[in-house]
Amino acid sequence: MLIGIVFVITVGAFYLIHLLPGDPAVIILGTGDSPVNKARLYKQLGLNKPILEQYFIWMKNIVHGNLGTSFISETPVWTTIKGAIPIDLELMVISQILAFATAIPLAMRSAKKPDGPLDRVLSAGSFTLLSIPAFIAIVLLVLFIAIDLGVPHTGPSSYVSLGSDWIGNLESLALPSFVLAVGSFVVYYRILRSDLIATLQEEFITMARSKGISQRRIMWRHALRPSSVALLGTAGVNIGGLLAGGFIVQYLLDIPGLGYTLISAIGYSDYLVVQGIVLVVAVGVILINFGFDFIINLVDPRISRE
Amino acid sequence: MSSSYFVNELVEESTTQVTPERKKKLGILFWICVSWLLLNLLGAILANVLPLQNPLFQNYSVINAGPSLHHLFGTDDLGRDIFSRIVYGSRVSIEVSLGSLLIGFGIGAPLGMLAAYRRGKFDSLLTTFMYTFLAFPAIIATIAVLSFWTPRSLLKIIIVVGIASIPLVYRVIRTATMNIATKDYVIAAKVQGATDWRIMVKELLPNVLPIGVSFLLIGIATVITLEGSLAFLGLSVNPPTPSWGNMINESRTILQQNPWLAIFPSLALCLFLLCLNFIGDRLRSHFEVTEGNL
Amino acid sequence: MTPELLVVKDLSTTFDTPAGPLAAVGNVSFDLNQNETLGIVGESGSGKTVLSRTVMGLQPRTNVTVTGSVLLNGFEVVGASDVEKQKIWGLQVAMIFQDPMTSLNPVMRIGKQIDEILRVRLGMDRSAAKARAIELLELVGIPSPAERYSDFPGQLSGGMRQRVVIATALAGSPQLLLADEPTTGLDVTIQAQILNLLDEIKERMKMSVVLVTHDLGVVATRTSRLIVMYAGRIVEMGSTREVFANHRMPYTRALLDGSPKVSNPSHTRLLAIPGRPPNLLNLPPGCSFAPRCSFATDRCRQERPELQPASAPGHSFACWNPLPTSRGATS
Repeated sequence: MLIGIVFVITVGAFYLIHLLPGDPAVIILGTGDSPVNKARLYKQLGLNKPILEQYFIWMKNIVHGNLGTSFISETPVWTTIKGAIPIDLELMVISQILAFATAIPLAMRSAKKPDGPLDRVLSAGSFTLLSIPAFIAIVLLVLFIAIDLGVPHTGPSSYVSLGSDWIGNLESLALPSFVLAVGSFVVYYRILRSDLIATLQEEFITMARSKGISQRRIMWRHALRPSSVALLGTAGVNIGGLLAGGFIVQYLLDIPGLGYTLISAIGYSDYLVVQGIVLVVAVGVILINFGFDFIINLVDPRISRE
Repeated sequence: MSSSYFVNELVEESTTQVTPERKKKLGILFWICVSWLLLNLLGAILANVLPLQNPLFQNYSVINAGPSLHHLFGTDDLGRDIFSRIVYGSRVSIEVSLGSLLIGFGIGAPLGMLAAYRRGKFDSLLTTFMYTFLAFPAIIATIAVLSFWTPRSLLKIIIVVGIASIPLVYRVIRTATMNIATKDYVIAAKVQGATDWRIMVKELLPNVLPIGVSFLLIGIATVITLEGSLAFLGLSVNPPTPSWGNMINESRTILQQNPWLAIFPSLALCLFLLCLNFIGDRLRSHFEVTEGNL
Repeated sequence: MTPELLVVKDLSTTFDTPAGPLAAVGNVSFDLNQNETLGIVGESGSGKTVLSRTVMGLQPRTNVTVTGSVLLNGFEVVGASDVEKQKIWGLQVAMIFQDPMTSLNPVMRIGKQIDEILRVRLGMDRSAAKARAIELLELVGIPSPAERYSDFPGQLSGGMRQRVVIATALAGSPQLLLADEPTTGLDVTIQAQILNLLDEIKERMKMSVVLVTHDLGVVATRTSRLIVMYAGRIVEMGSTREVFANHRMPYTRALLDGSPKVSNPSHTRLLAIPGRPPNLLNLPPGCSFAPRCSFATDRCRQERPELQPASAPGHSFACWNPLPTSRGATS
């Protein structure tokens, strides 16, 4: 099933260029359009061969790790992408840890006392935050905190890699992780809270209580697990979406992750890079979904049995 | 922390009628939000006949002016009136969201219902097909397609976003329908000899409607946000056509000089989203109570 | 004389509902000794479930007012904090619930649910707790207990699940077991098995049991004493034998008439009690059963009868116009 999906996606990614109006070669070459390049490209991709053969040539290249060489930047696509992935991973990890570490305990508190003061504040707050898209949040944050932003990016990016200076690294990723974490928190908190409230009404919770088990233990060991399914499902989709979907945040705050790279590539009409990122993201999303399906099954074995 | 359900049971046994306080009222805030949305809608439709400044007219003598009697929300860096641009801009948001959701729901919903009801090969094939696309973040695909499908136009955006939303609508409607199709009263109707069409219209549709509407509202909010994101990439409507996303994007470079260009469109967008979310939420809890009493 | 295990005095539980205060349990008093089995019978809405939960202290925390006293081994349950109550829960008193489908955590293995109390409250280590859990599984009649230890509740049938629930309740070796309709959710064929199991265990572990049910057949042979409840109050109580043979309250008669007896000739019509259970929010003055009672007098309708002693020791009933006894005395 997994293989099938990956297969379909490769077909889609490949065929996309033939769907768009215009000569594929021109699209790929973009500004590097010259007869020499064009001839080279035709040979490389076999563009004058039947389409099925083109696909196989393309697939063969992919499997060998050859995503082509950008005609715009003159660097292999894979190299460009490879450098960006760890940054995304780090952003994802930090933001999700923040989001879960706050959402779970707070959802538990609220579920214990629904409509209590904490619950109301959090509900109203998360509701408001839900209605503020990321880009607006950043623009407004900038406006009121006056960080230097919006200047055309010709200078070095503010991102500092982990290897060179881990403190600087954390500093540079702090704001984007925070923004992403808040977005995730809002969603996770609401889902978990609502599921926890439902679970706490179940009789097995009363049964656990009647054994003299402390409230804390009941929350963490008895209530959390059955309530996590929707949360994990959403997390899977969310994290998959973060793979390059955090592009606004990355773009505005100058973090060269996949999203940022994607946007630049679009800006330069660098088709091959775009295609490469689409492919990588697709595979990544599948892997993440697969991983989460596995985790969900561990947490709640009922799902597979039904 | 123990089951409050049995309190309700007890009360149910003792009272013969549902006490009116238990049904969740929609509340005045709900209607305020509805009014706000309607106001925006009216503004978008009637923009041409309302006494607004010309949204495209560039008056270089009043660049980056703050709010005034003449320019209620001030002007942008080309001297255009922000207020009227916001009103005209709402058109983009509304058209994009309604148009693309028309496509998404128009195709995704019937397919979802049909698949959920019929099951069998049709369902397996179609669902696998749809779920494949679901696995991929639609935003990326939308951006990729839109960036290479030039020249830009509102119609193209609507089409691309619309098609991108089909798998998601399909999934939600299909799941909702499956939950209902297995309920006893549907089986009862079938046994009584109702035709498939009749069952779908009379039994399934009314029960899927609340979920569908709820999801529709979420969809509108998502698409509007999407338009904003697209604008940041220059993938929304071409300037000088005003859209909320465009305006916010333009404000980035002149944040210091003209905070108004950032604030007012943001406010317009956020308030719109807030109302949408609130209405969706309220409707959901309202219908939950009704279903429970069934 | 050994002190009583459970002393309930004037216990009342009132719910604060949007439609007004609802007195689910009103002025209930009774005792329970070691090794005794007490039956509490009544229709739905009679307050028997609320009573059992209040006795344990498991009533909902919000919008509920409990007055009176519940002394369990000298410990006062009414008004105690959760932390205090947690000390006795599971170790001195345990409860089993009606629906085995929902009483067990569906995502936790049954072994873990049984030995949780051993590990967490009694500090046993994993292997000792597991061994004891397997013993308990065997005690409740689960075949191949060692393998079943790692099963999930969903893998077991209803009857087996209820056995697991019983094992879980027994793990802490409580002196008092509150069984709230333990067999109502089960197949008729399984019901007898479970009840027999409870009898066995009660003997073996020297436990006292409170059996709450609407089914008179269940309490007939398995309880030594019986309480009959109606509209939240006790309307008759005494030794089971006495109540069955010499009941004075017409409601008790009606209940008995309404339950099938093997000794009846075939095709005997079961007499249903006319009318409906009362609206607890709006109780009529006087005896709550008066509207449905064929023996009701004017006094019954105006003045609520208190419990008065009958001829046999320990037997009392609440009625102005009681049924004549078989021994000839009329009140």
